[in-house]
Amino acid sequence: MSESAILVKNREVVVPGQPLAKGRFKLGRDVYRDESGIIRAKKLGLADIKEDTVSVVPLSGVYIPKEGDIVIGIISRISGSTIIVDIRSPYQGVIPIPRGRATERVDMRKYDLKLGDVILAKVKAFDGSSSLLLTIDMEGLGKLEGGYILEVEPAKVPRVIGKRQSMLTILKEKTGSDIIVGNNGRIWVRSPSLKELLALEKALRKIEAESHVSGLSDRISSFLTQELSD
Amino acid sequence: MPLYVEKKPEVLITEDGVRTDGRKPYEMRPVRMTVGILDKADGSAFIEWGGNKILAAVFGPREVHPKHLVLPDKALVRTRYNMAPFSTPERKRPGPDRRSVELSKVIREALKPAIFVENYPGSVIDIFVEVLRSDAGTRVAGVNAASLALANAGIAMRGLVAACAVGRVGDFVVCDPNHDEDMWGDADMPMAMLMEAEEITLLQTDGPMTEEQFREALKLGRNAIRLLYEMQKEALKRPYQVVERSVRGVV
Repeated sequence: MSESAILVKNREVVVPGQPLAKGRFKLGRDVYRDESGIIRAKKLGLADIKEDTVSVVPLSGVYIPKEGDIVIGIISRISGSTIIVDIRSPYQGVIPIPRGRATERVDMRKYDLKLGDVILAKVKAFDGSSSLLLTIDMEGLGKLEGGYILEVEPAKVPRVIGKRQSMLTILKEKTGSDIIVGNNGRIWVRSPSLKELLALEKALRKIEAESHVSGLSDRISSFLTQELSD
Repeated sequence: MPLYVEKKPEVLITEDGVRTDGRKPYEMRPVRMTVGILDKADGSAFIEWGGNKILAAVFGPREVHPKHLVLPDKALVRTRYNMAPFSTPERKRPGPDRRSVELSKVIREALKPAIFVENYPGSVIDIFVEVLRSDAGTRVAGVNAASLALANAGIAMRGLVAACAVGRVGDFVVCDPNHDEDMWGDADMPMAMLMEAEEITLLQTDGPMTEEQFREALKLGRNAIRLLYEMQKEALKRPYQVVERSVRGVV
């Protein structure tokens, strides 16, 4: 076995193909091992080395669905037995409308959806290409009434939520708003007034721009205090 | 009567190897790369190289239209190389022509080995290369910019692709031929490499070279590509360093 070595600083910005480490490390997300055994970055992002696992935290990219993800979708088509949902991804979400005996187990009022309605849904199954099955058949899922939809880059969603929801808590408390963050980068917001909504929008842009610089939570916290002070 | 008449310089390269723009045979024209300049594209880059000004934009992975083009196991990669009507000394008729169709194909094939297409089955990655001002070597400049735009779009890649042209003028093998050398030089050889493995993904040759000259050209091209690769890395990282500096209050 060849010698093990880390070739980058933790949290350093790396480009695709950049060598990150060699030797006995596990492959995390968005990295690959080349023919000579060197672990390289797949995407532009931040190097993330935790114990024996090497990953890259991407800084951009479209939303690729994962089973279990919560997404905010917009109804784009209803055709007979299925509802087609746009989830800001290369893949369209599909919700089958229950029929026959299946209707007895579910709340059929939830399926009374129109074109353009905004829904909170869960990724039930995804085969990686064509079939993306969503469900709204759970407590808390279904049509979102009122509020506004804001968007962030899907790659920045983990930063909007933060470790143990720390960032989301700051955003909610500072602006007094109800916020639901979808893994696909759509964010549903109900604010007390336009002022809070606009401050929130600015804060999201700031999170996007500065996500790679440490101390983000503190900066967002004082930014919102300042924005909402007068 | 054409309004613009090209004039061949009397000497393309002097005996001691000084070119029409004053460069030495191994020297490249000045290059500047900027990333993320288009708001509506998923990724973008702008390259200025000598007199070239080229914009690259990447959209995707996104849904494939028309549907019959879908590849079930990998992403489809489409590329359009286009020259603006005002990019040449005389107005270029807009729209695709024989040359731009070929360059679209060549650029696509130079970039495709770098992309993890298997990570995005059933989707499409669209690459646009728009030449705003042309001054020899647009295809290689386009490859450099498009590679940056792909990385900027957050697409999974084996590495960046860097590209440079080399050529022959008389007995000299020259790096990055300029307009005069492109028009009246003896050979022209654009090349691209997938970094850091340095796998050649584009190699065309127009004009005769001896085996020795070819080997020298290959070496010269590789060295230029290594330099361009360093510039690409710097261009991709720069915006993040600028933000970091402004946040930390360092000038």
